[in-house]
Amino acid sequence: MNIARAQCAASALTPEARGDAFRKKGQVEQAIEAYLEGVAAPPSAALCLKLARCYEQMANYAEACRWALSIVDAGDDFTSWQAGWTSFQRNAQKARRPAVRSVKVALLGSYTTTQLGPMLCLAAGKLGIHIDLYESRYGQYQQDILDHKSALYAFNPNIVLLAVHEGDLHLPEYSQRPEEDVRQEVSRWTGLWQMVTERSRARIVQHNFALPCEVPTGHLATRLSGSRYMMTQAVNTRLGEAAANTVSLVDCERLSALIGKQRWCDPRYWNVSKQAVALEALPLLGRHTAAVIASDLGLSRKCLVLDLDNTLWGGVIAEDGLAGIKLGQGPDGEAFVAFQEYLLKLKRKGVILTVCSKNNHADAIQPFETHPEMRLKLQDIALFIANWESKPDNIRTIAKTLQIGLDALVFVDDNPVEREIVRKFLPEVDVIPLPEDPSYYLRTLADYLLLETSSLTAEDTERTDQYRARAQIMELEVAAGSIEDFYRSLRMQAIVVPFDASQLPRITQLIGKTNQFNLTTRRHGMAQLEAFVLDKSYVHLALRLRDRYTDHGLVSVMIARQQGDILDIDTWLMSCRVIGRTVETTMLEQLCRRAAQLGCTSLRGTYIPTQKNAMAADAYAKHGFERVGDNEGSEVWTYDLTTKGLIVNAFVKPVDSWELADGAS
Amino acid sequence: MELHDRLEEVFRQVFDNETLTLTNEMTAPDIEGWDSVAHINLMFGIEQAFGVRFKGNELAEMKNIGELKQFLIGKGAS
Repeated sequence: MNIARAQCAASALTPEARGDAFRKKGQVEQAIEAYLEGVAAPPSAALCLKLARCYEQMANYAEACRWALSIVDAGDDFTSWQAGWTSFQRNAQKARRPAVRSVKVALLGSYTTTQLGPMLCLAAGKLGIHIDLYESRYGQYQQDILDHKSALYAFNPNIVLLAVHEGDLHLPEYSQRPEEDVRQEVSRWTGLWQMVTERSRARIVQHNFALPCEVPTGHLATRLSGSRYMMTQAVNTRLGEAAANTVSLVDCERLSALIGKQRWCDPRYWNVSKQAVALEALPLLGRHTAAVIASDLGLSRKCLVLDLDNTLWGGVIAEDGLAGIKLGQGPDGEAFVAFQEYLLKLKRKGVILTVCSKNNHADAIQPFETHPEMRLKLQDIALFIANWESKPDNIRTIAKTLQIGLDALVFVDDNPVEREIVRKFLPEVDVIPLPEDPSYYLRTLADYLLLETSSLTAEDTERTDQYRARAQIMELEVAAGSIEDFYRSLRMQAIVVPFDASQLPRITQLIGKTNQFNLTTRRHGMAQLEAFVLDKSYVHLALRLRDRYTDHGLVSVMIARQQGDILDIDTWLMSCRVIGRTVETTMLEQLCRRAAQLGCTSLRGTYIPTQKNAMAADAYAKHGFERVGDNEGSEVWTYDLTTKGLIVNAFVKPVDSWELADGAS
Repeated sequence: MELHDRLEEVFRQVFDNETLTLTNEMTAPDIEGWDSVAHINLMFGIEQAFGVRFKGNELAEMKNIGELKQFLIGKGAS
């Protein structure tokens, strides 16, 4: 069939060794072919690097970048990562590779962070984030923050990352007044946070403090609130409380325990070059920090797509029957139960669970309905698909029905072939490489970092219910006659109010992650929003939607600024959960009312096209706005209130509090 | 693979130079990019590749290829 295969038959060399031989002879194309044959999932770091180099030689820089980034999935080996980063950097310029998001990160350290930077950038690159990095000079984090003329502020970062370590804490080995010492140390940090927030638009991400494993007071330390050991824990706790939703923390205390504290810090490398975190631990720290940043940017994934046979239980339900599947009994049975319980916990923090199984529907739902050891019930599953179609087709249906992107999905299946098919046909979907032994399913899923959430809101905990309702509505939509009948049948009500403090975390979350129905895609942070709330010239609206099935929570946000008799829309967005429900019209209806109260005679709107917001392109035209011009790639639209009157939506009833009288019928 | 080749492999990876060839007399100034940061990365890379540990002092001082090889042989690498 080809030279590579023919030689394979002739010699007993591994594909990788054959690739090496081809490369030595300068036959790069054949080398690539041989290497690709040797690629397992996940491929080894060495193979990724070789492929990156081959593609670079062929001037295929995009593929070179892709393989350099694949090193992240190949394990946490510092030297490979370092080489991967060098390769990626060199090729990325030539590839002009589009990143999902570009972000300016200021890395401020209390130790040598020269090696952490590349690890963070590589891990972020794998998540589609391009990091423009500023690094403070060694140990200069305080000076950089305190001096308002510092290079830090000139850099104008989106994120200030405080990479600090336990040795830097201003705490004595033993304190007579631990409360006071802890309070002072905590306020040193919160003071720095405040200063950054006042002087820049940056969000703060801080590494908390990993406890050292050498403790002079030994086990007694745990009984002495004045020991440095206990005070450090208290500082971590207080910082967590003070951070609330405004500062993100990376839990280095947990990471150091995970990798082992003796590996986390190597005294030799501290003594030689002030590495407070050992090189060996930096890829782990880079991955976790990148995941927290991704979550702050709203790039976390929302939905798990679960296989059934040998994924949620042992065995095949259609063959083994209810009594035959392994669930609850024996080591494997226990493992599947533990895995299901973990999935339930993820659901409770807002991850949507769906099922995609090759089965007869009746067989597939049987355990959910009647098996006593099933932890997951049918109502925990937002969308349940069991048929004989291909998994990629079914996964597309899941994304379409729930109206979320394929890039919000994570596929969980024990079958390596299915995983490979999904990887190949739906590269946007992340795939969990479940191990053979179900005992380690839970741990493998827990090590997948893009289910990280940066805040927890009431909406998060009810998300699966909302999406399940949405799937039901899709069915109703087909049954109902006209679209107007359908809207009326939903009995929608909306509460629209100005922003208040309690809603700000959810609003920040929406502003951070809404891509599709988002007219301007301006990513205002929490601090900016707080400023809008205080500024009387701003009108801000937050909309909650409820229909006969469910409370959708806070799903739409609008910010507008009064400029004389014009009310200018700065931000207008809507969660994709409620697209196609006329909610956008209600938002304009409410804005018209505020405009009238303020004495404004016209509305002005801007549409800034992005790769993802095409669906909002006609939002203004649809409501009678007129396009009056373009401004640096964005469209400007106006609506004359005096000639056109107020915009009204007949399908959503504006209310001050929910009217539940006939809502449940 | 011979010790020399394995060592060369580590150097090539750390210095991102696939044509780099080592001789026993080489020291830091002979190799482009061998600064203090690269040195730490190099020592770490060698430790991982050969499964050995330098002493703190050796980490800072080991800057001659021949010396490095002698050290590795002393640690039982071949």
